[in-house]
Amino acid sequence: MHSSTRKAAAIMTDVHRRFLQLLMTHGVLEEWEIKRLQKHCYKVHDCNATVEKLEDFINNINSVLESLYIEIKKGVTEDDGRPIYALVNLATTPISKMATDFAENELDLFRKALDLIMDSETGFASSTNILNLVDQLKGKKMRKKEAEQVLQKFAQNKWLIEKEGEFTLHGRAILEMEQYIRETYPDSVKICNICHSLLIQGQSCETCGIRMHLPCVAKYFKSNSEPRCPHCNDYWPHEIPEVFDPEKEREAGISKSNRRSLRSRQH
Amino acid sequence: ETPEQLSGRSAPWFQSQDPEGSEGLGVWSRTSVQQREQCPDVPVGSLDEKVTLLVQFLLHKYQMKEPITEADMLDVVIKEYKDDIPEILKRASEHMELVFGVDVKEVDPTSHSYALVNKLGLTYDARLSGDEGMPKTSLLLIILGVIFMKGNRATEEEIWEVLNMMDLHSGKEHFMFGEPRKFITKDLVQQKYLEYCQVPDGDPPCYEFLWGPRAHAETNKMKLLEFLSKIHESDPRCFPSQYQEALRDEAERQLLPPLFSLNGSVGWLVEPNLAQNILIIGM
Repeated sequence: MHSSTRKAAAIMTDVHRRFLQLLMTHGVLEEWEIKRLQKHCYKVHDCNATVEKLEDFINNINSVLESLYIEIKKGVTEDDGRPIYALVNLATTPISKMATDFAENELDLFRKALDLIMDSETGFASSTNILNLVDQLKGKKMRKKEAEQVLQKFAQNKWLIEKEGEFTLHGRAILEMEQYIRETYPDSVKICNICHSLLIQGQSCETCGIRMHLPCVAKYFKSNSEPRCPHCNDYWPHEIPEVFDPEKEREAGISKSNRRSLRSRQH
Repeated sequence: ETPEQLSGRSAPWFQSQDPEGSEGLGVWSRTSVQQREQCPDVPVGSLDEKVTLLVQFLLHKYQMKEPITEADMLDVVIKEYKDDIPEILKRASEHMELVFGVDVKEVDPTSHSYALVNKLGLTYDARLSGDEGMPKTSLLLIILGVIFMKGNRATEEEIWEVLNMMDLHSGKEHFMFGEPRKFITKDLVQQKYLEYCQVPDGDPPCYEFLWGPRAHAETNKMKLLEFLSKIHESDPRCFPSQYQEALRDEAERQLLPPLFSLNGSVGWLVEPNLAQNILIIGM
């Protein structure tokens, strides 16, 4: 047996395989979802075993995936700092991942939206501007009405986020496409001053222009009554967001699902 | 190299920097393959590289729910390695099985075409929608169940009778499943779980559902009967003709490992009296 397959044979069990399959199927998962997924895989395939700590579990799988240029990548959503996970293929042009769900002209619409997002100052592209490019799309002709629905489909599948008629990249797209974006848009790429990762939306210093992700701002200026720019020391003029708290989220989630199940029982 | 170093860059192979490429956003285009050959970093031509390429291609095809041919593989691995294809395929298949639990099965020896089959069974093979998600898998199970109970083919009308009881109606978008008619006549058919064919000599033309090849590959009649009996709170032997048929099916399959796991899918599936109605109708 080849060395890489020997390693796989030593580490991978049906628990891990099921986990990978399901992660592939879902595309992107939040931390609480991936923990639930992990528990599910144990329950199905090895119900007597102790559930391994998520970080170790993922690192083990990644050590096997390494030779295949695939990785379970962890990221953080740009708007509210939620941890997310996706199975990322490091070797391929990532838009091929979307090819499983979208037609050629739809993928081209995404590329156009991405062009506009990268070109923008805020990281958002207006729906109107994207739709105006409909005539330039490759493949089957698409009407604006159709394109509107395709944009909604992108949002549902977590490639784009919509906010008040404008579109930006979902954390999933950033996770999967960071490398591709850096290489395709080398001149318009923006970087966060704190974490040095790709930045699509965030806050910027009005004096020196450095940018920071919202969750990076939250962490950097936590409990700081006089926030100042880390680069030029000028007063930081924007509202400082809250640091993401998974416990608060869980409580909110539980009360939300209680309400929903009550509703469905009332049919 | 550490995973951190690896994740910081993509493998140089598929840097398709060609947004105007004829294949659009397709990864497996000739352009990217040629670009790869010029890249100095990767030991071009190593068998390892080919195996990795093929694994990624197989994964892509698996998610597309498409079969693959030897011609496809040659395209990926490049013609110079035609003689090495059996070895490359063997190692790639090993990876697919060990790492992802996916079998690369030869389905047609004459045309050398292969199907990618989930070894791990039916559960959760479909997307979750909604928080407490009733996976589309469970709907598939019910449909397979009805088809089986009806003697291995069920008319479209018979299927809708059951779905309507679950508040699924043709043309009416359901908050969990989307539009049910599209799901059963297109999505599940495309995924090879169902076959949807015109009834011969039907007048007016009508259609029926049968198990698709993937349903046959991933589950079996006995497991399905056990599942149905469970939601009916009875025993497979309460359905003697189906039980006999399931026994025969098991004998034919001989020592197939359990492909199907129920893991609590019953719990949030349907309410008991609804399940009983399904079975009564199914008979």
